[in-house]
Amino acid sequence: MIKKWDILLFLSIVLVALALFGGAHLFGAKGECVVVKEDNEVVYRGKLAEDYTLHLSGNTVVVEDGKVFVKDADCREQICVNHRPISKKGETILCLPHKVSITVE
Amino acid sequence: MAKKVSLYGLLACLCLIFGYLESLVSLSFIAPGMKLGLSNGIALLLLAKRDYKGALAVNTVRILLSTLMFGTPMQLLFSLAGGWGSLLVMVLVCRVKRLGLVGISIAGGVCHNLFQLAVALPLIGAGVLYYLPVLLLGGGVSGALIGFLAAIIFKKMKTNEEK
Repeated sequence: MIKKWDILLFLSIVLVALALFGGAHLFGAKGECVVVKEDNEVVYRGKLAEDYTLHLSGNTVVVEDGKVFVKDADCREQICVNHRPISKKGETILCLPHKVSITVE
Repeated sequence: MAKKVSLYGLLACLCLIFGYLESLVSLSFIAPGMKLGLSNGIALLLLAKRDYKGALAVNTVRILLSTLMFGTPMQLLFSLAGGWGSLLVMVLVCRVKRLGLVGISIAGGVCHNLFQLAVALPLIGAGVLYYLPVLLLGGGVSGALIGFLAAIIFKKMKTNEEK
């Protein structure tokens, strides 16, 4: 029922994913800046060390103790609110309904 | 024809129920918003019976109904990109004789996530690429699980038809 090529395909995808994971973590140094984008345009850029609360149309983004998280969102899924706070370079929180991305740089 | 239409309607309803069940079990600890993709099992069974049009019809009806009832216009865009894109890939991959239903499902699962990522990239920005590894892995693993389930069911269907 399971063919040899099925297993090969599965293993190659897992390998590629793990390689990309590894690559991302090699550069997983502590970040310095927070960049918030809405509709692919930068709406806020600030230091991670500076506490700040940003009110967007549908989300409230909080920078606190060197970490960023989404405090509120008015969407149904609350995926961005449930995301753990981020602080490492490259880490990103997304809000698809409001087209918001929060990235540590 | 009427028999087919009623079968497709039934299958689309089943997909909607799968979607509801998936919304109860959050897999967000793996990747934000990740779902198992049970509906893809239905599409796979139709593909296994070489009913490409049926798979497209059931998939499209499911996406339109679920986003009309529970979703946003953004979700419609993402669902259609993922649903149609992965179906197209699975139909193409069906031609590869060396791949079984499991392999077809893995390709579909991975491509579903890749097509959604491709739509998100211009809308939201390069930040979405952070999720590429976990989307690849998640699509591959859930695709394999669903493909395995579909393969078991397909085998049972065949033995039932022979009886």
